[in-house]
Amino acid sequence: MSNPDVANVLVAKGLVKRYRRGLAVDRVDLTVREGERVALLGPNGAGKTTTLLMCLGAVRPDSGSVEIVGRRLPKGRSAAMAQIGFTAGYLPLPDRIRVREYLHLYGQLYGLRRPERQVARGLERFGIPHLAEAMGTELSAGQKTLIGIVKATMHTPRLLVLDEPTASLDPEVAFRVRTGLAELCAEEGTALLVTSHNMLEVERIAERVVFLARGRVVADGPPAEVAASFGQDDLEELFLHLAQDQEAKGAPGAGRSPESSEGARL
Amino acid sequence: MSAALQGWAATSARIRAIARRHAYVLWRSPHRLFDVTVWPLVDAVLFGSIAVFFARQGGGGARSVGYLLAGIVLWHVVYQAQIAVATGFLEETWSRQVLSMSVTPLREWEFVAGVAAFGLIKLLLGVGVVALAAVGFYAFEPTSLGLGVLPIMLLLLIAGWSVALFVIGLVLRFGNGAEAFAWGILFVVMPLSGVFYPVAALPAVLRPISLLLPTTHAFAAGRSLVDGAGMAWDELGLAALTTLLVSAAACAFLARMLRIFRERGYVTRYT
Repeated sequence: MSNPDVANVLVAKGLVKRYRRGLAVDRVDLTVREGERVALLGPNGAGKTTTLLMCLGAVRPDSGSVEIVGRRLPKGRSAAMAQIGFTAGYLPLPDRIRVREYLHLYGQLYGLRRPERQVARGLERFGIPHLAEAMGTELSAGQKTLIGIVKATMHTPRLLVLDEPTASLDPEVAFRVRTGLAELCAEEGTALLVTSHNMLEVERIAERVVFLARGRVVADGPPAEVAASFGQDDLEELFLHLAQDQEAKGAPGAGRSPESSEGARL
Repeated sequence: MSAALQGWAATSARIRAIARRHAYVLWRSPHRLFDVTVWPLVDAVLFGSIAVFFARQGGGGARSVGYLLAGIVLWHVVYQAQIAVATGFLEETWSRQVLSMSVTPLREWEFVAGVAAFGLIKLLLGVGVVALAAVGFYAFEPTSLGLGVLPIMLLLLIAGWSVALFVIGLVLRFGNGAEAFAWGILFVVMPLSGVFYPVAALPAVLRPISLLLPTTHAFAAGRSLVDGAGMAWDELGLAALTTLLVSAAACAFLARMLRIFRERGYVTRYT
């Protein structure tokens, strides 16, 4: 249950997004409290990424509102983004830049006065100080993901948003990421909003899960309670249940990115 | 968040960060130097030699050489300004940094300012190469144009940036399929602008279009300086007015395209 004394770092209300060929997100409400660790889950095409991108101000909702640490988007976007850290397993590093330079660049974009210190601390936290002078082209997929997480956390954001953060990591590195994130959340009170298809990992990271299916929130609560409310033993079983249900009913936006649904290339 | 910059200090840091990021790109990609060294040199030799050849045929003498060389030097102000800002944005699409940068406090105008600031260095390099080649190979005297050339260059610089904003808007709307405009659009603007000749030399049907372009009036003012007739204030005034209108239109177009970009979720093209 929510504690009224704890501030909300993210309040999204009534988010709706319709692309040309279907409704991707349908009246989604999502709130994340300070220091809370929330997982946004659902089968492919459920609307997770569109919801995240609307919460981050990168996609404009057709209706509904987003507030980050009291800043309403899109007007307060720049100030709100200073409180956000974001990375995704699918986002690459630029090739022609060293890790230290890349992190320094983002440190400056986040308004850090002395990015060098936070860069060194971030690399240390995730056990990769030896990668500071490496070029983007020299890194493995897992190392790139770790650098992305350092980028997203070095300014100690109030809300850390991670889209499939451990998708390309081996179990040892994934463990290091979870440990680093747990340390960050404990030390700095950073809230976490994460998407993942790894339900075991979600159960380890998140204290609350929000399940989306066919663009709508279908469950919201602690992992065990949410699974039980659908008569399932764990999140893995619930995920499979919802994925099969979505496939049977036909997801409105399933398998279609905004790009493909608009067909707007020259 | 400790030790965070605020206000203008944060804005300034973000602009410098973008400028530095593009300095790394140029430094680590020597082939990018082609635009600021080889092309200017090729253009100077090409147009300089054409001018000398026609002058020797009795086609206008030293004045025609001056028109072509001054024209190509000034043209590179537009070209380098445009290409630096347009490819600055394209670089972020190629390296798929658009989403990552969108989710930082960086404002759109700060990004453009950072790319344009570093673009000034590329512009100095590019225009410097053309001017040096014109001086070294064809004994062109840029100083003979006088200080009047400075406001002309400023207007051409703003015109180049404006064209780049149109290109960025097209890429936001249509994706990387529109990046051909980054290189191609100026080859449409160039003949219409009367870079090397008065607008009267254009086919009559094209002249009205030509007169709408700020570059047309800026180059007309430049030719007046080559002629030794002093500053053509009427042309400079028209150049300033049309530059203002075109830059306002470019900003409005970019804002509109950015809105569509966000409404339709096109950021996912770069994930």
